[in-house]
Amino acid sequence: MPTLVDLLARVSFLAAMPATVGIFVTAGLLVVSRDWRLNVTALILQYFFVVLLLTRLIRLEVAAVKGLTGWMICMVFYLTERRASLFERLEAANENARPSRWRRWIISARASFCLLAGLLVSVAAYTAALRIPLPEVPTDITLACYLLAGLGLLLIGLSEAPVQVGLGLLTFLSGFDLFYVALEPSLAVAGLLGAVSFLIALATAYSRAAQIATGGEVRKL
Amino acid sequence: MIAGPLLLLILPLVMAGVVYVLLRWTSVSALLAVGTALALGIAVITLPLDQPVHVWGGRQIAMGEMVTFFGRELVLEQADRIAMAFLFLTSAGIFFLAWRVEPHSLLPPMGLGLLSLLSGALLIRPLIYAALLIEIAAALSVFALQAEGGGASRGGLRYLSFTTLALPGLLVTHWLLERYVLTPNDTRLLSTSATLLALSFALLLGVVPFHTWVPAVVSDSVPLAGTFVLTIGNGAVWFLLLDFLETYPWIRNHPRFGPLILTAGLAMVLAGGLLAPSQRRLGPLVGYAALVDSGAALVALGMNSRLGLTLAVLSLLVRPFGLLLMSAGLSGLRACSGGNDDFDALRGLGWQAPWSTAALIFGGLSVAGLPVSAGFAWRWALCRALAPSRPGYALLLLLAGVGVMIGVWRGLSALLVRPRSLENRSVVPLGRPEGRLVAVVVAMAILACVGVGLFPQVLTPLAVRLAEAYTFLSP
Repeated sequence: MPTLVDLLARVSFLAAMPATVGIFVTAGLLVVSRDWRLNVTALILQYFFVVLLLTRLIRLEVAAVKGLTGWMICMVFYLTERRASLFERLEAANENARPSRWRRWIISARASFCLLAGLLVSVAAYTAALRIPLPEVPTDITLACYLLAGLGLLLIGLSEAPVQVGLGLLTFLSGFDLFYVALEPSLAVAGLLGAVSFLIALATAYSRAAQIATGGEVRKL
Repeated sequence: MIAGPLLLLILPLVMAGVVYVLLRWTSVSALLAVGTALALGIAVITLPLDQPVHVWGGRQIAMGEMVTFFGRELVLEQADRIAMAFLFLTSAGIFFLAWRVEPHSLLPPMGLGLLSLLSGALLIRPLIYAALLIEIAAALSVFALQAEGGGASRGGLRYLSFTTLALPGLLVTHWLLERYVLTPNDTRLLSTSATLLALSFALLLGVVPFHTWVPAVVSDSVPLAGTFVLTIGNGAVWFLLLDFLETYPWIRNHPRFGPLILTAGLAMVLAGGLLAPSQRRLGPLVGYAALVDSGAALVALGMNSRLGLTLAVLSLLVRPFGLLLMSAGLSGLRACSGGNDDFDALRGLGWQAPWSTAALIFGGLSVAGLPVSAGFAWRWALCRALAPSRPGYALLLLLAGVGVMIGVWRGLSALLVRPRSLENRSVVPLGRPEGRLVAVVVAMAILACVGVGLFPQVLTPLAVRLAEAYTFLSP
C-alpha cells in the first residue's frame, strides 16, 4: 500500500503553476462561499496544493506532516460545522421555515461583492509577485504566498463570523508558512507554526460553538 | 536540582490542569490559581540568581541556571526578573478578583496556561520563539475571553487576528538581521527590518489604526479576561519590545525611532481621549481608557531618555490597578443588569451595586491619571517631564485623562439615577446582589489603588531597577 509520501511524490508534477492556480481557486472559493461543505472541501484542497508547493522547498516527510496538520484542522471545522448545521436544521424545522434550495444557485449581492474584492486582491497579488519578489522562493511560489496572504486578509476583513475569521487566519498563515519554510527550515519553528494553526482552529471552533449555544445569528458581512 | 526557568514554565502549566479539573469548586480552583501565581511571583523576586537554594525534601532550585529546551536556551536574566514577578503577581491579583467577580469563567486555568507561555516568551532565546509563544498565548486567550453562556467573543477573535498579522513581521525580521550580520554593507536589510518591527509592534500594542481589538477585548468578552490580555499579555509584548531594543541597539539609534514612537503614542492618546467620552456602553469605555494609558506609555518611551523609559515601565506596573478595578466594576454591574452594560440598562443600578460602582470610579480615576489613584503617580511625572520641551503633548495627555473621566462621569450619572416611584422605576433586579465577600475583595483592590497613589515610592524603585537593567538608552 502506498504511503502518503509516495502519493505526494506521484502528484509532484502538479507542484508548480497548477498548484498556484489551485490555490487561487480554493482561496477564492473560501472568500465567496458561505456553504460550510464547500468551504471545508476548499480548505482540504488548499492544504493539498500548499503541501505540493512545500515539497519543492522542504523534505517530503516534513511537508507531509504539515499537510496532515492541515487536514486535521479541516476535520475540526467539519465536525463543528456539521453539529452547527444540525442545530440550524432543528431551528428551521421549529420555525416551519421553507427550504429555499433555489437560492443556492443565485449569486447574492454579498457573494458578488466578495468575488469582485477577491479578484481585485488577486490582481494585486499578481502585480506584487512580479514587482516585489520574495527572497529564496521561485516566482510561482511567491504568487501563491501573496494570493494566500491577500485572500486570507480579505476573509478576515469581510466578516466577523468566527468560522470565516478562522478560515482567513489559517489561509493567511498558510501563505506565510509557504514563504517562511524557505528562510527557516527549523523543525522547531515548523512544529510551533503547526501548533499555532491548530490552536487557531480550536479557538474558532470554540467561538462557533458558543455562537450556536446562544442561538446567535451570524453577522455574515 | 530544579532549574528555575523550567519551574516557571512547567509549574503553571501543571497547575492549570489541576485548576481546570477543580473548576467546579470555584473557591478552591480560584484560590489555588492565586496561590500558584503568588508563590511563583515571590520566588522569582526573592530567590537569588547566582546560587541554588534548598527547598523541600533536600531539593535545590537554581533560578539563574540556563536550560536547553528542544535545543533553545531558556535563561532568567536580571532584566526579566522584575518583569516575570510583575506578570505572576498581577495575575494573582486578577485571579483573586475573578474569584468573587467572575467565579464561573475559564480565566484561572487558562490564565495559568497563558502565564507559562508568556514566561517562556520572556525566557527563551532567540527572540523569534518568543513571537511564536505570544501567538500561541493569543490563541489560548480566546478560551478565557469567551463569556460563559455568551455569544462568540468578537474581541477574542480580533485580538487573535491582529496578533497573527504581527507574527510574520517579527519572524522575518529575525532572518533579515541574521542576513545583515553576513552582509553588513546591505543597509536595506536594516530599513526593512525596522519597518517590519514597527508594523508588528503597532499591531501587537493596538496602535491607531490597529486599535480596534483593544475596546472589543473588554466590551465583548469577560472583562477580567480582557484586562488580563491588556495588562499581562500587553506587558509581555512591552518587555519583548524592550528586549528587541536591547538586543538590536541600532533600532533605538535610528533617526525616526523617537518621532515614530511619539506619534504612535499621541495617536492612541488622541483616539482614546476623543472616543471614551462619546461611548454609551461601559465596556468600550474601559477599552478606550486602556488605549489612552497605553498611548501615554508609548509617549514616555518616545522621549528617548532614561526618565522616559522608567516612566514607561512604571506605567506597566501601575496599569493593572486601574484597569482591574474598572473591569471588576464592569463585571459586577453587568451581573446586576443581566449582561447589558448600556447606560440605559444601568440606570439606577449604582444603588443596587455600590461596590462595583465604586470600583468603576476609582479604576477610572487611575486610568485617567487623576489624583488619589495609582495612575496619577506616573502620569503626573510624565506631564511634568514633557511640559518644558513639549507643552502641547503634556496638555493633550491631561485632556485625554479628562476625556476618560467624562466617560466615567456619564456612566456614573446613569448609575446613580434615583428611581422616583415604583411605576417608572427602570431598575429591575435581574441578577444577584453584591455579597459581603465581593465588598471585601473590591475594597481591598480600591485600597491598593489609592495606597499606591498616595505612596508611589512602593513601586517606583522597582520601575527604576527594571529600567536600569536595559542599557540601550543613555542616562
